[in-house]
Amino acid sequence: MNFEAVIGLEIHVELKTKTKMFSSAPVAFGKEPNSCCMPLDLGFPGTLPTVNKEAVIYGIRVANALHMDIDHELHFDRKNYFYSDLPKGYQITQNLRPIGSNGYVDLNTSNGIKRIEIERIHLEEDTCMQHHFRDYTLLDYNRAGVPLIEIVSRPNIRTGEEAQKYVEKIRSIVVFSDVSDGKMEEGSLRCDVNISLRPYGSDKFGTKVEIKNLNSTKFIQQAIDFEIERQSKLLLQNQTIRQETRRYDEAKRETILMRVKTDAVDYKYFPEPNITPIVLSDEFVNDAIKNCPELADSKINRYINEYSLSEYDASLLVNEKSVSEFFDEAAKLTKSYKLLANWINVDIASVLNKRNISINELNITPKSLVALISLIDSKEISNNQARDIFNKMIETGKDPLTIKNELGITSQISDESAIMELINETLNEFPQSIIDFKEGKSRALGFLVGQIMKKSHGKVNPKITSDLLLKELKER
Amino acid sequence: MKEYNKEILKDAANRLLFDMTDEQYDTLLNEFDIITKQMEIIGKDSLIDDLEPMVFPFECSTSYLREDVPSTPLDKEDAIKNAQNKQEGQIKLPKVVL
Repeated sequence: MNFEAVIGLEIHVELKTKTKMFSSAPVAFGKEPNSCCMPLDLGFPGTLPTVNKEAVIYGIRVANALHMDIDHELHFDRKNYFYSDLPKGYQITQNLRPIGSNGYVDLNTSNGIKRIEIERIHLEEDTCMQHHFRDYTLLDYNRAGVPLIEIVSRPNIRTGEEAQKYVEKIRSIVVFSDVSDGKMEEGSLRCDVNISLRPYGSDKFGTKVEIKNLNSTKFIQQAIDFEIERQSKLLLQNQTIRQETRRYDEAKRETILMRVKTDAVDYKYFPEPNITPIVLSDEFVNDAIKNCPELADSKINRYINEYSLSEYDASLLVNEKSVSEFFDEAAKLTKSYKLLANWINVDIASVLNKRNISINELNITPKSLVALISLIDSKEISNNQARDIFNKMIETGKDPLTIKNELGITSQISDESAIMELINETLNEFPQSIIDFKEGKSRALGFLVGQIMKKSHGKVNPKITSDLLLKELKER
Repeated sequence: MKEYNKEILKDAANRLLFDMTDEQYDTLLNEFDIITKQMEIIGKDSLIDDLEPMVFPFECSTSYLREDVPSTPLDKEDAIKNAQNKQEGQIKLPKVVL
């Protein structure tokens, strides 16, 4: 029997506001434990929550990017549970009226475009950081109250690949809309997966298993693929699937049981009495949308339509927001968009990968890269010389013209009449090479180019020289 | 209905990690008296089960949102002053993993 996987994802995104969701405590990472707390974050009595305006703006941006209905009235609820990561004894969240509902994203998958429906996004606060040791736990409340957006998909994801693409898309949206740094490895984008199997054609859901704390999109795909196989095997052996929470062991490439779930927890939600409903004016909502930075999909279209880049090149440029911003800056200074995209997508990308750094940490600025491209465009330097200069730019941060002079690279001869003079001189000196070429000995061409290079002390543009020489040989 | 007295309030305050003066406890007890009487009146209303629960005493809304400007946080020593066990600036408790 073949089974269909039914997968739903819950994604928590930490917002990059300056203060917490309901208090004015600073949001800062890497600070001393418990040094970024206001009384509210610690659940002290007599403190009242106030809603962070910027977090609401970010919520609207994301809701709009996900094509959602945006609630123009903010309502908050209490989710009650007793655990040490939650000093108030409840989390303030949006249960009954999320800020965004009924949205979708379209994914480019190997089976074509797949639309994933999104049930809701809501604003809430993060819990404190717990550090577990062998026989004790330490609590750091710096994270308690940091603004979060939770994004809940409908269960219409079917494969590990779709789940991976879905998370990549959400990550791209929150990063490009500037609401989060979206770093999965640092926990600012966290993902829980719910997965169940059912026979194809069935409309009933199987028992779902939750996989928690997946910290890369690659692991999401691997964990789901493993889980589909694990559950399929059990079902084929007529065993039942237990309702469990599992985690993914990256080294073993398998999911591991964390705990067996019993009945669903009753969080005794009720409306937060300390925050009255907040009316958002049309103007406020429209401004939040209008001021959202350009998203990756829009950039891809712009690169294709305005700069005539291929979809492939355009997509590579928006893999990282900082790279697309570098390209945007550089594109203001040149019209050689294709060449610019190639240098960023190939040469710069290779350095970034090797050094595991971001483009902002590189010694090269958009201006200096464009200066290098101008030298290539004007045929003052060959591609090989450009690469030498580029390597020195990476090492020293100097501008390409200075490096060109330091390396003693003199400008190439690109003037066709000057090159023709050298070609004719050389052909007259080596008539046998003309005969060899006519007899099909291709090496003759290389020999002649070499001789011309020698005469010009390596200054002639090799591409122009080769083209002109070929033309002249055919005419002789 | 449960009778409120100073001991109950003191116990609640202790659990919430704060204390008050005797005068403040008296004031609070008076308020509880009023609330208790009002609850009794409401409880007598036979239509109570037909009423929608209310979260706020009347229809109210606001448009206030706090600007995203940080304040000076609590001193880190003060932040964990009430904790019985501390280690490396953090609150220490027996290991709890959900």
